[in-house]
Amino acid sequence: MPRTRSGSRRLLKWIGNVLLVLLLVWTLVPFYWMIVTSLKPDREIYGFEATLYPHQPTLVGYARVFTTTPFLKYVRNSAIIAGANTLASLLFGCLGAYALARLRFPGRALIARGLVVSYLVPPALLFIPLFAVLSVLRLIDTHQGLILTYFSFSVPFSTWLLMGYFHSVPLELEEAALVDGCGRLGTLFRIILPMSLPALAVVAFFAFTQSWNEFLYANVFVNSVEVRTITTGLTLFIVEDVFFWGPMMGAAFLSALPPLVVYLIFQRWVVKGLTLGAVKG
Amino acid sequence: MHGMHRRDVLKLAGAAGVAATGPWWRVGRSQAQRAKKLVFWHLPNFTPLADQLQKEQVYEFAAKHAGLKESEVEYAVVAGEQANAKLAASIEAGNPPDVIRLYESNVQFYGAQGHLIDLTDQVNKMRREPKGIFESSMAAVLYKGRALGVPLAVNPWPVHARLDLLEQAKVEYPKTWDEFIEVSKKIQSPPRLFAFGMCLGLVEDTTDNVMNLLWCYGGKMVESDNKTVVMNSAANVAGVKTIEAMFKTHKIIPQGAISWDNSGNNKAYQSRQAAFVMNPSSIYAYLDSNDKDLQKRTGLFPVPAGPKGTVNQIDTWSYGAFKKNPYPDIAKGLIEYFMQPANYDRIIQSTGGRWVPVYKRLFDSPFWREKPEFKHFINMAETGVPVSYAGSPTAAAGEVLNTHVIPKMIQRVLVDNWEAAKALEECDKRINEIYARHNKA
Repeated sequence: MPRTRSGSRRLLKWIGNVLLVLLLVWTLVPFYWMIVTSLKPDREIYGFEATLYPHQPTLVGYARVFTTTPFLKYVRNSAIIAGANTLASLLFGCLGAYALARLRFPGRALIARGLVVSYLVPPALLFIPLFAVLSVLRLIDTHQGLILTYFSFSVPFSTWLLMGYFHSVPLELEEAALVDGCGRLGTLFRIILPMSLPALAVVAFFAFTQSWNEFLYANVFVNSVEVRTITTGLTLFIVEDVFFWGPMMGAAFLSALPPLVVYLIFQRWVVKGLTLGAVKG
Repeated sequence: MHGMHRRDVLKLAGAAGVAATGPWWRVGRSQAQRAKKLVFWHLPNFTPLADQLQKEQVYEFAAKHAGLKESEVEYAVVAGEQANAKLAASIEAGNPPDVIRLYESNVQFYGAQGHLIDLTDQVNKMRREPKGIFESSMAAVLYKGRALGVPLAVNPWPVHARLDLLEQAKVEYPKTWDEFIEVSKKIQSPPRLFAFGMCLGLVEDTTDNVMNLLWCYGGKMVESDNKTVVMNSAANVAGVKTIEAMFKTHKIIPQGAISWDNSGNNKAYQSRQAAFVMNPSSIYAYLDSNDKDLQKRTGLFPVPAGPKGTVNQIDTWSYGAFKKNPYPDIAKGLIEYFMQPANYDRIIQSTGGRWVPVYKRLFDSPFWREKPEFKHFINMAETGVPVSYAGSPTAAAGEVLNTHVIPKMIQRVLVDNWEAAKALEECDKRINEIYARHNKA
């Protein structure tokens, strides 16, 4: 008997749901494993049988995070650097994207393409030249140095993303504002940006998480505890060939919380921003 | 039209940029002082006490002997795993640390490139101490007859062995590799407990473990001229066949060992899933602070003998001082201060056995005398050889280690089922290429 249209639709829906559940498990299992490992004693972590949940839960790993490392300083440093980079990405991204989307000047297309190219250059190629630049500027081992470095990937991305979004804002609205006496900046801040909140949320979210999670530059450009970020702090739980899994997983779990909170706050706009940018860009 | 135009937007963007970067100029000024600092990169030890003592010694030296203020000292903790990338970038940028701890072949690697200060005077001073130092450590620091590093610890790679399992099986620690196989079969109970946690993954520890066994069969990688590669030898074939038999026939090595990383053998022993592992005493030091019960059941022994006897491995850590340094004498002074026997002994003992002293007379202290686990250490430190044996830990040897040529060879045999001779032939060719390139350079 031929399958009805509603039957096929139901089947597709089921397949989709199963795939979603699989993806959900794929995504959540590492996170779950991180949490349960952080709550296991060493004997259980290293045991012959991997336990799905801690049989003898302990907070020793967390205690070690806070008593043997300046973990809160790492959090503070990551917050300063990621926060500053987010703000700067929004500011420079908005101004740059508006100029590229609306103004006509020589080299505009080249700059726009250059943004993509600069974003695509892998950090492994850049860390030595950037180290040299920061050394000359005397910015090694400073918050400012790391923030400046992070501009190299967050500002091009922000500008590119916002440029696509600004293109989707009807030009007529802007022209009407100009006719009514609004200047370029007034138009940007009063007309374009309020209409671009989802895109701004995406930029803020990505700039924050990229800076928060960045490892290579933070590892190479920072020496002192006063500037060290969480990602590089985690590596101190590896001493030669011994891994201190309990505290490392505890610290990793705690460090994953801020981006998670940021995402939950911006989730609605992030999803909207990504989809709108995709179809209207 | 009122409001701002394109030019105004650009001006504003420029002004915003200047405002945003303003604080950096101030930082730039304060950072200018850094060039005059004493910069020490510290690689963490196993015990917080050892880290603390080392930090205190840096600041003590700076204040009392170098006349530096606290603000003129930069003591940076650098995770060991990441130190190489960081060091490479800092050297490239002309801004390396003044003093750092270097692993084995890194001294000759950076020394050959002209980055390291000559520390021969400091080493000679150490040699003049009563009983002197373990000369076995000198292979790591000597480059063209000059000492470009100061050996700070000479670490044997003993076999960590489960004494309780030997006792249960009523057997002694095996004296030969043949006995080792027989004892292993008696004490293991797979899959929960395998006898031999031999590292066989594509990592550095595999080179160490494999070469150590091959030496006992009379094999080696390169002659002492650091030119003639002798990997393709009958002795090495015999050694590789022994490993193959342990893995495939006697099944005393867990199958998973072929995918282990450097911590695989540590984890196997620490989780009581292996009865024997060959490793520096990092495992023993870990047990000292994390699992006293297992530590009590653990003995540290020389490797069993092969047809050519027992050959034990040592690795040497050294202090190196970089030339790009405004105060080279202060850097040398700091290293001398670290190596003053009284200062040095405090740090060594605080590592719980992880670092083994280069000064022979420090072995007279109760710390080393009273623990039976350490009774073989002095002989191992005296007679041990580096992984590059019979050659020195040169830059070429470092490349062989870091590119996992020997682990690939053993995996050819264990995974791809190649004949030992064929795998060694391929390995020999690859090592020859590496040595030829370095020697030409």
